[in-house]
Amino acid sequence: MKMLTCSRLNSYFGNPSKWVAKGVILLFVIGNVSAQAQESPTQKQSELIRPRSERLRSTDLLAQATETEVSSVTEKTGLVSTAMQWLRSTDRPGDLQFHGFVSQAYITTSDNDVFGNSDKGGSFGLTEAGFNASVRPLPRLQLSAQVLSRRAGEGNSGEPRLDYAIFDYQLYAHEANQFGIRVGRLKNPFGFYNETRDVAFTRPSILLPQSIYFDRTRNLGLSSDSVQLYGDTAVVDWGTFSAQFGITLPVVGDKDTESSLLGDVRKGHLNREISYIGRGIFETNDKRLRLGISGIWLNTSYDPNNRLNDPLGPGALQFTPVIFSAQYNAERWTLTSEYAIRPFDYNNGFRTPPAPRGLNGIDIVGESYYFQGEYRFTPKWEGIVRYDALFTDRSDRDGSEFAKISGGISHTRFAKDITVGLRWNVTPAFMLRAEYHYVNGTAWLSRLDNPSPLDTEQHWHLYGILGSYRF
Amino acid sequence: MIFVGLLGVKADARANDHFEIVTNPNVSEVALSANSLRSIFSMSLKTWPNGTKIRVFVLSDDDQLHKAVSKGKLNVFPYQLRSTWDRLVFSGTGQAPVRVNSIEEMLDKVANTPGAIGYLWRANINENVNVLQIK
Repeated sequence: MKMLTCSRLNSYFGNPSKWVAKGVILLFVIGNVSAQAQESPTQKQSELIRPRSERLRSTDLLAQATETEVSSVTEKTGLVSTAMQWLRSTDRPGDLQFHGFVSQAYITTSDNDVFGNSDKGGSFGLTEAGFNASVRPLPRLQLSAQVLSRRAGEGNSGEPRLDYAIFDYQLYAHEANQFGIRVGRLKNPFGFYNETRDVAFTRPSILLPQSIYFDRTRNLGLSSDSVQLYGDTAVVDWGTFSAQFGITLPVVGDKDTESSLLGDVRKGHLNREISYIGRGIFETNDKRLRLGISGIWLNTSYDPNNRLNDPLGPGALQFTPVIFSAQYNAERWTLTSEYAIRPFDYNNGFRTPPAPRGLNGIDIVGESYYFQGEYRFTPKWEGIVRYDALFTDRSDRDGSEFAKISGGISHTRFAKDITVGLRWNVTPAFMLRAEYHYVNGTAWLSRLDNPSPLDTEQHWHLYGILGSYRF
Repeated sequence: MIFVGLLGVKADARANDHFEIVTNPNVSEVALSANSLRSIFSMSLKTWPNGTKIRVFVLSDDDQLHKAVSKGKLNVFPYQLRSTWDRLVFSGTGQAPVRVNSIEEMLDKVANTPGAIGYLWRANINENVNVLQIK
């Protein structure tokens, strides 16, 4: 049965991701081995426990046998439901778990393009799917990996990519205090939503507040290869403080990131340089109040392609955003607000005219914030209202200076978005959502989807619906 | 009409204190602080003091007993637990508790899985599980 599922996995993800499937198989093997490894500490502690753990092994076998019987019966009702049944079942060695999701959105805009040609009758341009596996071969060791496919406009083709692959070891644990280390490709911990931004069930709306969670630089922000230390500590009787700090190599290779950071898709490429990321979140014991601060120190540099007569020179840039987050959760409603200050700093190596016409010496500070209210009318129906604002240069909020000096368009320098939305939890595993945005400004539009700023409209409307399934 | 009303009252009374946190008999702990219990159900505390794995079992989010335990013992709403677990699962930094489909399955899993912790109505508790005191 395991073999069958693995091969099914393999064919599902296709050739480019064969190695990812191999990784999942590896997790499986580790999971199986760990069933034995798990025995050893138990054995050491006391001989008395031993017969019990043996009893478990026999019941485990029994459970597996029944499971196989069950699935052979359900085979008749369909392969898919059998597969789902198997993925949901939890009696696996090494506490192996599988989870995943698939979401499809339909988006239509009055003007400007979001995830495809949305202003000409709408588009089904946003598809998100993810599949993850995790296993605990030892009580304090967790291995996990997720493959993600995202089809969204010009920037994301839908080709599956490795989203995270993590080795996580808890070094110390006592009551509410823990300390550990994670190594691998990790999700970047910043703000409340970044780590799970592609999972429709975990975000408050179809489009996250774009002022902070830009979809166009998402690959840069989403995950990176890093070493991370993490810890939780109880703060008197009030709550828990959780902190993460990582040294990372950011993912800067994609076109959307390049055009966002360098103004266009360039001939050369951006280099991955050592960067830092950290976040601290305080949460009261009842999880009602959550306060967070996150910071990134992102370094990257540009290697021009001289064979193609690259007009750009070998410049370097730093992006150092700090985000403050706050949330209050009551039984029926949740209020959330985040504020980000985002300094960009380009050196003089780009061989362009000085800013704002070229890249040389750009030294601007962007600012973003949103206020959001969610209300749970019933467990099945939720509503959301949000005001979200982004200013590319906080000293030039209406873009007028930029337009005057560079001849550019002022409304590309800000975006103010009013959002209302509704969520219907049809079943715990299936959700539908609808939302409306009124946006003044185009600062967060993808330049790949909207190549010419002259063709964009300052005031525009966006309607979206989304269906999402999870397991 | 009166019958329905009575049922409502009965359900409320039952929700208040007619349940217990239970563990597999191989767990040597007899009492636990409320903070530790919350850490366990938040899936951040992963091992018992002797170093063995903690395995958490829960009923579905809208189950009466799950709601009662969330609010009464953990002092959080079920939707908050759900979002905590989702954050862990989809960021790769933790695992979700194992969901069981019935009280009977809860009793069976907790009784037969080393390191297991879960919850049961008092009426369903038998000698195959230990009751944990929460300080």
